[in-house]
Amino acid sequence: MSQLADALASLDEDEVAKLVHEKINAGIDAMSILNECRNGMDIVGERYKSGEYFLSELVVSGEIFKESMKVIEPHLKAGKQADTLAKMVLGTVKGDIHNIGKDIVNVLLRAAGFEVYDLGVDVEPRIFVEKLVETEALILGMSGLLTPSFESMKETVEAVEAAGLRDKVRIIVGGGVVTELVGKYVGADRFTSDGLKGVEICKEFARDLKEEK
Amino acid sequence: MPIVRNIRLSLRSKQLLRREGIKEYSRLRPEIKDTIRELLTLVRRDHLLEPAIAYEIYFITETRSDQLSLDGGVVLHAPVLPAALPGVKELAVVVCTIGHKLERKVTDYSEEGEPLRSLLLDGIGSAAVDSLALEVCKLIAHQASSRDLQASSPLSPGMPGFPISEQWQMMNLVSAGEIGVSLTQTATMIPRKSVSMVIGIGAHMPTWTQAEVCARCSLRKTCPYRVQA
Repeated sequence: MSQLADALASLDEDEVAKLVHEKINAGIDAMSILNECRNGMDIVGERYKSGEYFLSELVVSGEIFKESMKVIEPHLKAGKQADTLAKMVLGTVKGDIHNIGKDIVNVLLRAAGFEVYDLGVDVEPRIFVEKLVETEALILGMSGLLTPSFESMKETVEAVEAAGLRDKVRIIVGGGVVTELVGKYVGADRFTSDGLKGVEICKEFARDLKEEK
Repeated sequence: MPIVRNIRLSLRSKQLLRREGIKEYSRLRPEIKDTIRELLTLVRRDHLLEPAIAYEIYFITETRSDQLSLDGGVVLHAPVLPAALPGVKELAVVVCTIGHKLERKVTDYSEEGEPLRSLLLDGIGSAAVDSLALEVCKLIAHQASSRDLQASSPLSPGMPGFPISEQWQMMNLVSAGEIGVSLTQTATMIPRKSVSMVIGIGAHMPTWTQAEVCARCSLRKTCPYRVQA
């Protein structure tokens, strides 16, 4: 593990900032610095899964990554700037106003390399569809904390179908009470009640989409 | 319909950590501990908690296997109520909230790009609602015991056998609007940090612990906030 990845995995904000600046000033390829940071994030994810880190640490790691990106991004070469895994539309469904879980997933998705269009909370099915069309994103993530959200998720999947996008767009639903049954009921491709797992699923989606191209 | 304000909430560290998703405080990073302490100070300094309770006690006029009819003609359709509250004579219907202020601050942090503070303050809000719910139980138990009756543990819409759609009925049974609580079209309460519940009152009422409630829940294996016996 590189020193930078280790510093990020240890959530040492000052050390990460110092190393990123040093590497940029030394002319090291920005993409390789970014990859070191992503390796650090992967280790954070493993520590969270093993119970060594808690949700708060996951969020801190996302913050450190975000700050690092501010320094790294201007140095990425043209063309590599678009080195995103995939575009993705995210939001909490109609009738639900819970944002915390969605916001955490947003931070983690961005850190993992996704270009995320976050529509906020209480999002109408029509708005999800419009954003998918506008951005040409092929992944849709819907969040909901309470059981009434399931109907809104189902309505949104139906709206995606009605727009003729269902065959192209991968759909994941997430939230504290979301189960496999819920995923099936609403017509999603995958489900999760864990943010980090959700990011892994989206990475699988991105890999599939790349292979299909 | 009674309204109670000026409630003193004590945020117990065990509850707080559970709501922050933290299993072992000793393993938590010092800077996160510091942030929690800083936020608790902020909550006190800026009076971010505005707890309020709206409740009413109704006589039960008819009990069926799937519903309870209350004095005034209102019916609560929830099979769990007659099943969990055998011999119930009265029903305390309660809506309580910690108000809008803390939630606004959570949103501010989120919009200002401070997700850690947003997350931790949200957890403090959840712990405060837990604490408020305990105060509600004490209040109703005290009222019951003053009449030589007992109060049950609480049951809330959304639990198995208590459809969340009954929230609409609950709102009509208390002065929820007076404490600033309303519902979205899918029966989600606003402010988010609000709880609705019913408590049975009778000569011999059953009680149960949160761990027992969690053990019966379909999310008992995965819920990060579950309480274990």
